[in-house]
Amino acid sequence: MTCRDAIEILADYVDGVMPAELAAELERHLAGCEPCRAYLATYRKTRELGAAAARIEMPAEMQARLRRFLTDRLRRA
Amino acid sequence: MARYASRVYRLAYGITRSAPDAEEVVQDVFLQIVNKGAGFEGRAALGSWIYRITTNVSLNKRRGKRRELETSLDELLPTFLPDGHRAGDRSFVVADWSSTPDRELLSGESRRLLEAAIDRLPEHYRAVLVLRDVEELSNEEVAQIVGDTVAAVKTRLHRARMALREQLTRHLGGGA
Repeated sequence: MTCRDAIEILADYVDGVMPAELAAELERHLAGCEPCRAYLATYRKTRELGAAAARIEMPAEMQARLRRFLTDRLRRA
Repeated sequence: MARYASRVYRLAYGITRSAPDAEEVVQDVFLQIVNKGAGFEGRAALGSWIYRITTNVSLNKRRGKRRELETSLDELLPTFLPDGHRAGDRSFVVADWSSTPDRELLSGESRRLLEAAIDRLPEHYRAVLVLRDVEELSNEEVAQIVGDTVAAVKTRLHRARMALREQLTRHLGGGA
């Protein structure tokens, strides 16, 4: 397995949907490859950061406007 | 309403990257929910339908907007030597900033860079990123919602994460 092969399949590994045999092969490559270990660690961290940045709540004033908007529409219907 | 409002807003904002646009999407989606009434067989079908309609309305709203921010992802993907090893300076390819505390990575210049990197992703990639990594749906569920194959969803997700990782590494890992 080359670094190109390893990085290509990283998503399945990180998401836990990789077949065990392929995961074992990837782990053997990772054990001997510092660049791929760094890539995996930063890829995994990037996934966490992207999710954390996007995990936003709808602002309260926007929720209030939505309620007013829907109430108004229902009244007019 | 509250159960779905934040989910709809999160996905709409994730795709449009604009609070006013996301608010319009939320209003549009909830109007459709009201009009559809109780015609759903179950909560699971409703949840999936809401994600699908939110994605479609958000993507329509994005048409023709802010394209200039979206760069080709190719320049943000890893490059390789003919033998399959990573190309680039050794210090860059072994750069590992993953132990940097989240509070540092999610504030200040790093946060701004992360937000800008997400802005630069094509909207179809952002849709998949939010549905998979924030809403934690499966590849199969996301494929149904965005109307694409599982293989296409997996490719977009991986390329989006790699593009974000590359930009963070250029900032945090000692230069390009």
